[in-house]
Amino acid sequence: MTEKQATTRGETAGPTEPAPSGRDEVPDGGADVARVAAAASPLTVLGRAAGTIWSVPKARVGLILLAVFVLTAIFAPLLAPYAPTDNSFGRAEGGSAAHPLGTTTAGEDVLSQLIYGSRVSVLVGLVAGFGATLIAVLLGMSWGYTRGFAADVINFFVNLFLVIPGLPLMIVLAAYLQGGGLSMIIFVVVITGWAWGARVLRSQTQSLRSRDFITAAQFSGESSFRVVFREILPNMTSLITGSFFGAATAAILAESGLSFLGLGNTAMVSWGSMLFWAQNSNAILTGQWVLLFAPGLCIALLATSLTLINFGVDGLSNPRLREGKGR
Amino acid sequence: MTLLDVDDVSIVYEPRGAEPVTAVRGATFSLEQGEFVGLVGESGSGKSTLGFALTGLAKAPARISSGRIAFDGTDIAHLDGEDLRRQRRGGFAMVLQSGMNALNPVRTIANHFADIFAAHEHVPRGRRRERAVELVEKVELPASVLDRYPGELSGGMRQRVAIALAMSLDPRLLVFDEPTTALDVLVQRAVMDTIIELQREENFTAILVSHDLGVVLESTARVLVMHDGVIVEDGPSARILTDPQDDYTRMLLSHYADPRAEVVELPGLRVAGSQISTTGEPPAEPATDAAPSGRAGTRTGRTRAAVVLDGVSKVYPPPRRGEDPVTAVDDVSFTIEPGDALALVGASGSGKSTIAKLITGVERPTAGTVRLGDTDVGSLRRAGLRRLRRDVQMVFQDPYSALNPLHSVEYTLMRPVVNFGGLRGREARRRMLELLEIVGLTPVEQFAAKLPHQLSGGQRQRVVIARALACDPQVIIADEPVSMLDVSLRAGVLALIEDLREQWGVSLLFITHDLLSARVVTDKILVLNRGRVVERGETAQVLRFPEDDYTVELLDAVPQPGRAAD
Repeated sequence: MTEKQATTRGETAGPTEPAPSGRDEVPDGGADVARVAAAASPLTVLGRAAGTIWSVPKARVGLILLAVFVLTAIFAPLLAPYAPTDNSFGRAEGGSAAHPLGTTTAGEDVLSQLIYGSRVSVLVGLVAGFGATLIAVLLGMSWGYTRGFAADVINFFVNLFLVIPGLPLMIVLAAYLQGGGLSMIIFVVVITGWAWGARVLRSQTQSLRSRDFITAAQFSGESSFRVVFREILPNMTSLITGSFFGAATAAILAESGLSFLGLGNTAMVSWGSMLFWAQNSNAILTGQWVLLFAPGLCIALLATSLTLINFGVDGLSNPRLREGKGR
Repeated sequence: MTLLDVDDVSIVYEPRGAEPVTAVRGATFSLEQGEFVGLVGESGSGKSTLGFALTGLAKAPARISSGRIAFDGTDIAHLDGEDLRRQRRGGFAMVLQSGMNALNPVRTIANHFADIFAAHEHVPRGRRRERAVELVEKVELPASVLDRYPGELSGGMRQRVAIALAMSLDPRLLVFDEPTTALDVLVQRAVMDTIIELQREENFTAILVSHDLGVVLESTARVLVMHDGVIVEDGPSARILTDPQDDYTRMLLSHYADPRAEVVELPGLRVAGSQISTTGEPPAEPATDAAPSGRAGTRTGRTRAAVVLDGVSKVYPPPRRGEDPVTAVDDVSFTIEPGDALALVGASGSGKSTIAKLITGVERPTAGTVRLGDTDVGSLRRAGLRRLRRDVQMVFQDPYSALNPLHSVEYTLMRPVVNFGGLRGREARRRMLELLEIVGLTPVEQFAAKLPHQLSGGQRQRVVIARALACDPQVIIADEPVSMLDVSLRAGVLALIEDLREQWGVSLLFITHDLLSARVVTDKILVLNRGRVVERGETAQVLRFPEDDYTVELLDAVPQPGRAAD
């Protein structure tokens, strides 16, 4: 129960929030005991979180999809029939037993490129998503907790990044840092992607800040740092997880976009660069629609899988959303 | 004529991924047309769940698992959405606890009525305005409220509007779910009077769901008492007052007393005149005497200091441009000598919480000085404030929000011990366990490992008190420490506070609107009205022989089951 004040106690006392019985005794219910035993170790907490996400059908589909992509990325060398840059095959061939998805105009195997390309997307998604979330958490929470001058300064920077249109900034940055490869792309995506998360986390921090238990922590002599990271942060798990998946989705799309525009390293095999080369060689005109369709579909599916997982994240720290249907 | 017939109804909660819980078990009763019945129980007793089910509002994960609710002959337990909607006109309606927040802030009150009339089309278009005026006048509001927005009305007015809205479909059964709980004490009374009046005039059947047996006995003719999902008592109010059959009802009744009486007795607490004595152990709250005796005085041997407020005023800037600045506290002076207990009473908006903020240094006074011993609290900066918190601690009103739901009791209590006590490791832990023992949460090891949601309200409040004691403060400010607790838990927490003050010599500033609890734990009292002190003196003296009208008004607002019999 993160956001509803306990002032609604008089209402239906659902079992998720065991209401005190008439006498002063521990509320009964075996489920509660189990829940607490679970809270003891961080590993079981993680397991329980995964369980919560898994219990939502949409999120389950998302998890399976994501797992497929991650496994593909990890085991790419085993799965791919050829090396992605091997251009010793016939050019622009259609699908055949040797090349199920055909070959590119440069004579590379499309399926192998697709499999290797997942590495870039998954890596950029996870790393840039993590980076953007980290900045969002640090800035958003300190912004939400402090008052006065420091908050105004952060406010200025966040608004600045919110106002600047993302894609043009990305293009400018990427063009300026030409040739930096993957790390450059991650950097650009992180720089342009953290501001919304910071804004969301800030407003939640502000609402938690006025709770009694925060005042109580201050009265216990806690430093601001501890109040923010030990008292407030754990209450925002679902928001932070949600913003991580959101940022990862945005990062995957941004990476593909940049590569498609030819602003990344065009020699590196990624779904975006596949699209770039396909576009360059007028693949649609030559009837090789698979060249555009396959990487496009993969990008869409990976982004969709993360978005689907986000449906399950809602239930993480809000028990009411876990109760499901018929609300 | 029997209007509502409830036959052996059970309701279960079936949350996903958890054990189902039975909230109501075999409820059986029937209501005659025009009856006014109270449904009383403490939190978790299933009273609201039953109330929701009666009006067809039970929703997942709650489910009516067995039994029959017959309203005027039709079984409403298994009606579908559209049939239910049509039933609402001339059928049943509900007024919620937070009904005043159920109004849409961007639409005028008239719009709310128009929506209902349009949905059911039972009032001809031309007569709608007229009918709306009629309805708001029934709840004693002027017709002009119709053109105002919810935000422009006070809480009491909004709750009246909610009642008028519920009335607009000419219901034959109205369920009031804690209709006054969220309101200010004085407003509560006025709204309750309106409800009683209305019921008498319109002669609809009404069910008043409430946790407060006092309020219910005062207003209804028949009372159902619920405990753990079972209706344990069903009878006329007068009989329940004089001759309760069930132990639970008897226990509830024992927690009411008149603060004006010469001798005030609650389970575990007895106050006569101005002498206070704690008699034995309260039945519901064991082990309050666990504190090591003979330890009066602060542990660290610091000198004791008095809290002195001298001509203190606090003016807030105007809420909107063009309005006048808000004077929350106006020229208030008082002193709390070491070991004294002072009650600060008043309705909401009287400035009592602002005074607490001034003493804790959260706010600075606009005029006058707040001092703790030699320290001028108003001029402290960050480091000074941190030092001040060693000496001034708070007990919060709502034990449900005062503990971080994710931290164990041990963590919560260890923090002040480590921060202020300078203790580390095993010593700190020993002190933490000692604190749990002081507040009577034994066995201590077991309680230390618990998370807040495993504790009842009374136990949570004990943890909050233990945390306040952790740094061995000189002054404890208790801001309505029992108002969120069930009646039966209050006496235990009050006894604990009283006990701690005597044993440890802590000064106490007890902020409350509940004069009964003020009478029980404090020696001196200060009555505030709109930021000004209107009456002060010995608690017993002031409450027994009040001089100011405002004090009398507050005293009248205390629910007393006995008054119904007069």
